[in-house]
Amino acid sequence: MAGNAIDQTRRMLSLVTYLRERPGARVADVARAFGITEDELIGDLDVLPMCGTSFRGGDLLDIDTDGDRIWWHNPDASGTSTGEPLRLAADEATALLVAARAVATLPGLRESDRQALLRATAKIEAAAGEAAGASSRLSVSFESEGGVFADVDRAISERRRLWLRYYSPARDELTEREVDPIRLFAVGHTYMEAWCRLSEARRTFRLDRVAEIRLLDEPADPPPVELRDLSAGLVQPAAEDPEVIIEVGPGGRWVAEYYPHDSAEELPDGGLRITLRTPDPASLRRLALRLGPDGRIVSPPDLADSAREAARAALAAYGE
Amino acid sequence: MAIAKAERLMNLALCLLGTRRPLSKRELRGSIEAYIEAFGPGSGAAFGSVNGSGVTTQGSDDAFNRMFERDKEDLRELGLIIETVEGVDGETGYLARRDSNRLPPITLDVAEAAALGLAAKVWQQARLAAAANGALQKLAAAGMPPAEDPYGTQSALEPRIPVHEAAFEPLMLAARDRRPVVFEYRKANAARPEQRQVEPWTLECWRGHWYLAGWDRDRQAERVFRLSRITGKVRSRSLPFTAPVPDHVTVRETVESWAGETATGTARIKVRAGHGYPLRARALKVRELGEGWDELEIPYGHGLDAWLVEFGPDVVVLEPAELRAEVVERLRAVAKG
Repeated sequence: MAGNAIDQTRRMLSLVTYLRERPGARVADVARAFGITEDELIGDLDVLPMCGTSFRGGDLLDIDTDGDRIWWHNPDASGTSTGEPLRLAADEATALLVAARAVATLPGLRESDRQALLRATAKIEAAAGEAAGASSRLSVSFESEGGVFADVDRAISERRRLWLRYYSPARDELTEREVDPIRLFAVGHTYMEAWCRLSEARRTFRLDRVAEIRLLDEPADPPPVELRDLSAGLVQPAAEDPEVIIEVGPGGRWVAEYYPHDSAEELPDGGLRITLRTPDPASLRRLALRLGPDGRIVSPPDLADSAREAARAALAAYGE
Repeated sequence: MAIAKAERLMNLALCLLGTRRPLSKRELRGSIEAYIEAFGPGSGAAFGSVNGSGVTTQGSDDAFNRMFERDKEDLRELGLIIETVEGVDGETGYLARRDSNRLPPITLDVAEAAALGLAAKVWQQARLAAAANGALQKLAAAGMPPAEDPYGTQSALEPRIPVHEAAFEPLMLAARDRRPVVFEYRKANAARPEQRQVEPWTLECWRGHWYLAGWDRDRQAERVFRLSRITGKVRSRSLPFTAPVPDHVTVRETVESWAGETATGTARIKVRAGHGYPLRARALKVRELGEGWDELEIPYGHGLDAWLVEFGPDVVVLEPAELRAEVVERLRAVAKG
């Protein structure tokens, strides 16, 4: 793949510089420093002896490894300039600086870590020079509730149980529960993954829905759970979850942006017929009410009925 | 088997970095095995004018030229500054000068290295993740100490920047290179997408969604676009921007006003006791009414009507009359269903 060839070239150029300074470097150390597996490193070391300023004998890099240490027998063959660290590309400076600036805004970050990040950011900006300019064209802000975040972070590092008053939008109610925190993560909003003692199951809590939080003295004791792979998205409906069909007009197309769904068929009026699955269809009554003239629940019928009843009950308060 | 691309790019980079004088295309072709293997030594070389496989010289020269141009572009993407020098003999030469390609001295301590290591992991987009790793590798080569990951044990913080929108990468590249783009865009309440011609300024991620701010050429005004509403391909054009790029772009303020977070007044509402926590959390005043109801004064901005309707019979609007009418109208639509 072309992308991989470019990444590998990028890595091998840095590797050459790195190895020049460290005769006899250990494979394990180099792989760790480069954030790659030992197999990937060995793959690079297989290519490097085919590289040089010319394919003729003495101009090729004479680099080899016994699987433990790496030796370079002719570090001066290809000219000394290949030994110098290369300037950062615009994309490299952008990727690192934008991420560093975003992480620095996380309220939950320890102050010493934030200071280290800010120092590093300033140094990279200076070293990247012109290449840093393009990084102003991307920005990311994380949002998190500072106080709640700090308590969760502390509970995780001290392995303590938490007491929460947590808002559930589906039921429009606050529930009290004790949870054993597992990890914090930020994907747009900031979330805590925890073992909920109330439901005896793993639950994900959005920090801006935590109304009240207290650290308890009991130790946290979450059963061993495999961490979910978040790259597939936060909401991962199960195949056995009931199906809900919603038809929206053009003004309700946003539903397809906010709700993970199985399908969204275009309708002739510019609207969509959205099919999704959820373990708790009743939680979508709010959505049905919110949509108003811009959409309606097609199925299941009892969900559609409950939205209609709620609307009639609400209208009664306005004398209708 | 053809020589792998990484090996070919690496050889080209080493040749360009290792030379003190500009090298001609002919010299580079003669020094890099991958080029000889694929195209022969070239018409200017001493080996003759037809390569071993019998391919005509003209055809293989053209193919070599195309590959050479692409390879140079790939190396430039990696940050290499490759100079083109016109020689006295009319032959173009290439070199990557040592002083323009060197990373200036940079000293990072272990804490700084660890902080950058955490930051580099946030990208969930392949191109930026690879670029961030590439940056760390260059810094490691420049002497950055290896970072033991201190967050594995001390903090469970795992920030991630999601990028699900296909439009992200082409827009990022166009904003980086300041090239205008054309795409089909469907406004929130529009039935059909419409073509937009935009000079892309910045991309911003807020609450997990990406937005583009730029100059809308047809409307001759600054506009903010939500990437998930871009349909089809983003095409970029090799033309200059026509409008000046402002120093400060206000994506977030615009999006907040879409989200109804810019209040223009206040509203009085009745909320059933024990319900409507998010409304209570932003209430300016709360008064107990008795009989299981509270009265709240809350900020009133665009979109409040749709939000209040979500609470069904547990919320009643008292004033202003305009908000009351909007809520009633929405409820009627649902009741008719």
